[in-house]
Amino acid sequence: MDNVSPSRREPSPHWRATTSRLLLGYGVFFVIWGTLLLGSIYWETTQYLALRTDRDLTHQIDHLRHVDRAHLAAMLDDYIALEDTSYNAWGLFDAQGHWINGDIARLPPALKIDGSPIRIEARDIIRQQALPNVDQLHLIAAHIDDGNVLALAHTTGVTAHVGSIIKHALWWGLSFTLVPGLLGGLILNIGPRRRIRQIKAATQAIVRGDLRKRLPISKRDDEVDRLAMIVNDMLDQIERLMGEVKGVCDNIAHDLRTPLTRLRSQLYRVQQQMRENDPHQALVECCVGDIDDVLGRFRALLRISELEDRRRREGFVAVDLGETLQHVHELYAPLAEDKQQVLELHIEPGLVAQADPDLLFEAISNLVANAIKFTPNGGTVAMSAVRVASERARIEVADSGPGIPAEERHAIWQRFYRGEGSRETTGHGLGLSIVAAIAKLHDFELSIDGGEGGARIGMECALNAPLPPT
Amino acid sequence: MPHVLVIEDDEITAREIVLELATHGISANRVHNGSDGLMAAQEPHYDAITLDLMLPGMDGLSLVKQLRERGITTPVLMISALGDVDERVRGLRAGGDDYLTKPFAPDEMAARIEVLLRRQQPAQTRLRVGDLELDLITHVARRGGRELSLLPTEYRLLEFLMRYPGQVLTRAMIFESVWGLRFDPGTNLIDVHIARLRRKVDAEGETSLIRTVRGSGYRLG
Repeated sequence: MDNVSPSRREPSPHWRATTSRLLLGYGVFFVIWGTLLLGSIYWETTQYLALRTDRDLTHQIDHLRHVDRAHLAAMLDDYIALEDTSYNAWGLFDAQGHWINGDIARLPPALKIDGSPIRIEARDIIRQQALPNVDQLHLIAAHIDDGNVLALAHTTGVTAHVGSIIKHALWWGLSFTLVPGLLGGLILNIGPRRRIRQIKAATQAIVRGDLRKRLPISKRDDEVDRLAMIVNDMLDQIERLMGEVKGVCDNIAHDLRTPLTRLRSQLYRVQQQMRENDPHQALVECCVGDIDDVLGRFRALLRISELEDRRRREGFVAVDLGETLQHVHELYAPLAEDKQQVLELHIEPGLVAQADPDLLFEAISNLVANAIKFTPNGGTVAMSAVRVASERARIEVADSGPGIPAEERHAIWQRFYRGEGSRETTGHGLGLSIVAAIAKLHDFELSIDGGEGGARIGMECALNAPLPPT
Repeated sequence: MPHVLVIEDDEITAREIVLELATHGISANRVHNGSDGLMAAQEPHYDAITLDLMLPGMDGLSLVKQLRERGITTPVLMISALGDVDERVRGLRAGGDDYLTKPFAPDEMAARIEVLLRRQQPAQTRLRVGDLELDLITHVARRGGRELSLLPTEYRLLEFLMRYPGQVLTRAMIFESVWGLRFDPGTNLIDVHIARLRRKVDAEGETSLIRTVRGSGYRLG
């Protein structure tokens, strides 16, 4: 069904909002920056720690290699005992590199005796069960005074630990900033999104023709407000211009009525004074008819303006829709009969709406008159009033005429619009504009579609409680 | 000859009203403003009043209100440039009998005045025009001896025509009085209803009682 209101688009996803995008951008930037910063700290620290370990090892082995062999075992035990048990290790090898004593079981080929420390996997050199939780070691070896080789090893555990501390710091830091940040962003977004929705609602009312509506402006005076103010200024201007155009139209109609009425009365007087068989009788009558037609258009035009300007709902009473339809049916049945049309009536009892009874009658009359006019002889025009929801009813006039092409359906409510196929029919094309004006005054929702072949115009309205039986 | 008081400040409109009424055999007396109008309206020899609603001195609405408060029941045709529906309702509520929007066709105005003049006749139970008879109590219509079977709308239409025999009734007046509606229903709607009534009233061979008046409306008899 073609609704007259503009089609609703799905709301844009959350991430499209400016705040969300900014936040996401900042999030990515923060992750990269934080990682870089902490990464460099990590790198510097581990470098420094490795250097320190190597210096310690060099220093220690320089000291131990010259210790008297008798004291060496005790010194080495002290060396282990002074630190954490799984921190240091030593090994004693003979000149050929065969193991003599200590937790270090073999010397790797990569290690240069009396050289600088190397880094090595613990399991490659350490006896089983010794240093259980150690992965990597810094290892140094040197000839001691008796010709044997002493190897000392330091774990790299501290370095690894520092690394994991920094990793943790990075992880927690990011979690503590990104999660609340993103959440906060989403929450911050709710406000603007709600305002966009309000603005959208206001805009839809304006698109539907309520030019008096303006976009809502909050007290915050933020960018959305400024934008809304700009749009509102524009709307002021548009409303003023539209008013001017309408005013000019109305003024023309208004001002021309008086001379035309005078012209008509003079012609009428001429006609009255003519003899019955005067050959000009028909001509004058035709002129009077034409003037009546023009005056009719002007009346309709001014009536639309009058209806559009009316904002009050004074004179609204509870109206039984079925009864109104019944009366319209009575009024138009002879007209339909003259065209051998069937004028059907289907009403549900007890439908009561708040309306101006005369205007409601006029609106339905216009719809029926229109349907009868455009339906060929022998066709059907069906009027109905049914409940469509618990609180809503639909008044409908459907015909078996040529219908209204889908692309013309929006335009038919406009003043003076007449469909392509209706050029040969008489009428001023204002009937449906009057219907639209009346519907708008009542907040009725108009819709138009093809129905079963012809045109089907519906008018939906809110219902009252049924009237008490009188 | 009926006398009509014309309370109208606009020269052209006033002249038009007086002239048109004269052609219908109605004499008219014109005053320019509200206070003079109120004075004149209290004289007993006027049969009807045309009253412009926008007058210098005293506006038409208060004038008609005061008249009614003083117990003067002379029928009043209100004439106003304001087409607003509410304006009309206000006018009728204040005590006016009919309402006409400016600019108006003079014949329409005259037809309305004539209807107002007739309205003062005493209440009847039976209407008779030629051989057409309408019993207002039993709601039975006869032509000659033949009883006409009329639908409710057709009955109301015939009753309205028979109340004002020999007088031009415009389509707008018929639409207002019979259906109680005031909008433009299109020219041929009333014609179709009249045509149906005619078919029932005029049997074959009988002269048509309901006549079409060119450019105006209809007349019975």
